Amino acid sequence: MKKNDNENYDPITYVPHTESHGTKDIWKTLIILGAITLFDIILYFAMPHSMFRNWVFIFFGIVKAYYIVGSFMHLKNEKFELILIILVPMVLIIALVAGMLHDGNFWLQFK
Amino acid sequence: MTSNTQAVTSKTWSGGRSPFKISYGKLMMWIFLLSDAFTFSSLLVGYGAVRFSFPSSPVLTETQKISPMSHIGDDFVEKMQQTGIFSEKHWPSADLVFNHFPFLHGIHLPLMFVSLMTFILIFSSVTMVLAVEAGHRNDRKKVEKYMLYTILGGLAFLGCQAWEWTQFITEGSTLSSNPFGPSQFAALFFIVTGFHGFHVFSGVVINFITYLNTVKGTYEKRGHYEMIEKVGLYWHFVDLVWVFVFTFFYLI
Repeated sequence: MKKNDNENYDPITYVPHTESHGTKDIWKTLIILGAITLFDIILYFAMPHSMFRNWVFIFFGIVKAYYIVGSFMHLKNEKFELILIILVPMVLIIALVAGMLHDGNFWLQFK
Repeated sequence: MTSNTQAVTSKTWSGGRSPFKISYGKLMMWIFLLSDAFTFSSLLVGYGAVRFSFPSSPVLTETQKISPMSHIGDDFVEKMQQTGIFSEKHWPSADLVFNHFPFLHGIHLPLMFVSLMTFILIFSSVTMVLAVEAGHRNDRKKVEKYMLYTILGGLAFLGCQAWEWTQFITEGSTLSSNPFGPSQFAALFFIVTGFHGFHVFSGVVINFITYLNTVKGTYEKRGHYEMIEKVGLYWHFVDLVWVFVFTFFYLI
């Protein structure tokens, strides 16, 4: 790791040496994603529609996103600076959600 | 002396190197996916706001309830309209709209087909990541095999979506009206699943190009399978978006 830090290279053509991390993590992620999706479907029929159920679905959506981005897209193996660059702008989406829900509520009252 | 100057230039942010220790192409793919994530979240949050501005469909009474696997007639939608379950005043419940399955005409199978589509996409994501893993080991045969599976998964998903759209359109949905509820319901369905479907389509095309390049031995000559990784990032992103489309359109 340290040796690579002092290496001089052209950032345009640089391709880091990659190593296989094996397939164990892939199958684990598949089982988690499949189980959560199955649970989602069961919950849809087992529980009547409510705001709480919606939050459960959104929570599981974020959990699935964590596993897809972290494990399948290998983001958890990247440098911390890269993780920040991808995740920090997501704050804007939270602001958008808050703003649009407020608007949606206004339209509902308006009707 | 030389080691001194090198120590200065090797600082992470002093230029001349990738501060993130990834290739230029992969970094750009991440940045593109970030911007694409904003596009899709705008669509989905916009959907959420419109959905939130309509009351939910009324809870079905015991006599109105339709149990899964039971037979439904061709006049199902008309009946739902007459009883006021499908009305322009409130948002329709997804299990009454998306209750069809190919080759099982007239049987009430709520959300089963779309769940199948979700699993198809998850499986094709797994074969993609297996191709990336094989690429790390420079195992060309395995990369070819898993890329082919991924392409087939993508095509299967596209086929399912085409079937779903055909069903939705033959029941009378257009961009401006639909028999299930407010006009925004079908319009947003077409726009969001259409935009996602177009991403899947372009993903299949890109996967196919990299598959051909693998068969030709382009990456073997290059010495690394980084291209599979970049294409993989895009493909996983498409799967990620579907997770949220599934959550917001069908479950909520």
